[in-house]
Amino acid sequence: MSEKKHEMNATPPKPDHGRRRVIIRTVGLKKHYDMKGVVTEALRGVDVEIYTGEFISVMGPSGSGKTTFFNMIGALDSPSAGRVFIDEVDAAQLTAEELAYLRCNKIGYIFQSYNLIQYMTALENVTTPMIFGGVLPDEARKRGMELLDLVGLGERWHHRPIEMSGGQQQRVAIARSLANQPSVLLCDEPTGNLDLATGQGILEVLQRLNEIKGVTVICATHDHRMLDICDRLMWIRDGRIQRIARRDELHIEVGAIGGETA
Amino acid sequence: MKPIQVADQPRLGLLRTTRITVDGIRYRLFRTSVTVAVIAMAVAFLMNILSESLMKRAVAHDTREQIARMHTVHDWAARLTRPGTPEEIIASLSRAEEHDAVYRETAAMAKLTPEAMAELHRSAREAADILRFFDDLDYARRRALIHAASGAGIFERLGTPTGFEQFKTALAGMKSVRFIMRLNDLTRFLSAWPKTLARIEQVRQGRAQAIRNVDAARGGRTILAALAETGGEFGQAVRDAGFAFDAQVTAPGVADRAQRILDQRRLEKSAESILMLQAIAQRRNVVPTDVTVAMMWGLLRGRRAATWYRGRLGQSIDTLKTENQKLARESEELKKNDEQIRKNNEQIKLNDEKTKENLHTIREKLVPASDLTPERHRNREAALARAERLTVGMGRGWMGLGERMGWLLFVSMLVCVIGISNAMLMSVTERFREIATMKCLGALDGFIMIMFVLESCFLGVVGGLIGAVLGSLIGLGRMLAAFGTTFMASVPVVDLLAAMIVAVGLGVVLAAVAAVYPSFKAARLAPMEAMRVE
Repeated sequence: MSEKKHEMNATPPKPDHGRRRVIIRTVGLKKHYDMKGVVTEALRGVDVEIYTGEFISVMGPSGSGKTTFFNMIGALDSPSAGRVFIDEVDAAQLTAEELAYLRCNKIGYIFQSYNLIQYMTALENVTTPMIFGGVLPDEARKRGMELLDLVGLGERWHHRPIEMSGGQQQRVAIARSLANQPSVLLCDEPTGNLDLATGQGILEVLQRLNEIKGVTVICATHDHRMLDICDRLMWIRDGRIQRIARRDELHIEVGAIGGETA
Repeated sequence: MKPIQVADQPRLGLLRTTRITVDGIRYRLFRTSVTVAVIAMAVAFLMNILSESLMKRAVAHDTREQIARMHTVHDWAARLTRPGTPEEIIASLSRAEEHDAVYRETAAMAKLTPEAMAELHRSAREAADILRFFDDLDYARRRALIHAASGAGIFERLGTPTGFEQFKTALAGMKSVRFIMRLNDLTRFLSAWPKTLARIEQVRQGRAQAIRNVDAARGGRTILAALAETGGEFGQAVRDAGFAFDAQVTAPGVADRAQRILDQRRLEKSAESILMLQAIAQRRNVVPTDVTVAMMWGLLRGRRAATWYRGRLGQSIDTLKTENQKLARESEELKKNDEQIRKNNEQIKLNDEKTKENLHTIREKLVPASDLTPERHRNREAALARAERLTVGMGRGWMGLGERMGWLLFVSMLVCVIGISNAMLMSVTERFREIATMKCLGALDGFIMIMFVLESCFLGVVGGLIGAVLGSLIGLGRMLAAFGTTFMASVPVVDLLAAMIVAVGLGVVLAAVAAVYPSFKAARLAPMEAMRVE
């Protein structure tokens, strides 16, 4: 663990945010759920900018609106008010076909509950987004095997989700999210259902992707290990952004924040 | 870092969609089979009712036809012996069309002019309609309208001012009853009634004369024996008397039927002989006095019992023959002996009587009339009567399926609709999560729709086929159990196949329609909303 931290500190600091492109921007993002007259305000106005190539962690207690925030910026749900710009394109302006294209090719999703398709093998799960994206079946198989190798499941390509452990399923989900080389990876508590060691493995995979492929990773988590690998941290509380901090700023204040994040 | 450019998602080919769908079905084989079973049950229910209705309709049609054919001989026997009541004449005339045999026959016999006959024909039709109207009424209403009058007496009663007045006021009080004609027409009909009745009487007289001629030709034979005659002399006599007894079309069938009835009667007679009475009594374990003709027919229903009966009959006849010979010899001997004659006079008389009886039985020895033996005919008739009883009311209502069947069909269709819709709704809604996941991976709304419609079509076809076959088999079995194998020939195969196609089609369409709505809803939702719906 300490060795890893050391390695990461040793990597050259990333270029300044100011010079980077903004890939996701939200303006006054609000979302409320109307459940039979009982209105729950999940987001009460979130303004945030996320840059390309960034590894950003979103933290906050349960019910704070993390997942809602995720669904908004991943174009999986429509906001009640405010806007989401994905690469300066307003998500609300996109047609159904364009949204499908965006979800298929530009954004990869990883869910806490994996959401693999039960009747498909690992390989089929990974190739499904490619098939949707119009990749030829042979090519899709080849790339799917490469991705499974990348997450260390090359041997188990023909297994169905039910025959795999949680960690293995989550790794298949990661491979799937990378199927069409997305620019953004959205992870909603990727380690939430996993034990420490497995979670660690998943985090390593994410970190590697971020560093090697330059994928923007946005990760909602309770996992404190995330603090070590992310570039920026964002705290959400009661549907509002409580604080955003870069990791190097954070080091000084770990003690102060610890109580709040737990 | 590559910039994000948004384009339209390509559409997936049907083949690929089908493959993904089939994979899904194969994985959820158990759940799918439950859905298929529900669809199959619904379709089977529908198909069962449908096939039974169709078979019943066909059986009813065949039965009516055969019974009508069977009854021609009785009709002729009645026509050639009785001139008929006014009501019967009205009924037969109202059924006849102009230029029909019956129409011409009646006109000729009653020596009516064509105009008078046409008028009588018209009046008879009106009279028959009015009589039918009163027959269909319930007792209380009928009594209120025409009191206790019946048949031609109704016109008699309505012809009187008080009777008509009572009819009019009572009818005005019945909101739900509509008389079949305007009251003006009724008055016109009633004023013409005495004339009509006179003509009917003329018809009766004509018929009575013709019957007298026929009786002369019959020469003491029973009417059935005369009709069974194959030589054709009697038929010619009937034609000469003025009856439209067609030598080619009607006569052979009537003769055949008459012969069969005679055969049956002869067989029934055989059961009256003491030897057969005893045999039957022994076999059925009753006392001989309790043996009835119905018991004999009951015995003859079984093939083996029928063979036994015939054997016993032959034996009895032989026994009687020998006894006869013995008695004859004895009488000869008795005759030779004068003393004995006086002494045994009484005995001889008795013997003679017995001989006569026995000879009579021998004369009534069975003569097979055709390939079918009398007991088979009798069984067939019983089956027909049963079929007629079981198919009462068929031929009316929707598609001629009878009112009750039509309603049952409607209910079963409702069950089919609700059952299939429910099964499909369930199987789609429980997969909202999968739909949401697919949407996250970039599936188009159209792809999800097609996937579910395809799947429901598969389920519909499989479930529909299973259900249609199952339903028709059950229907066929039930019908055969009810009517017996003799009606196998009446099974309307083409109609059944058409009904099966309809049932399968209905299953597929319903399944598809029931799947379209929820999958459309799911496909249109944002992925996360769909996931929340669960």
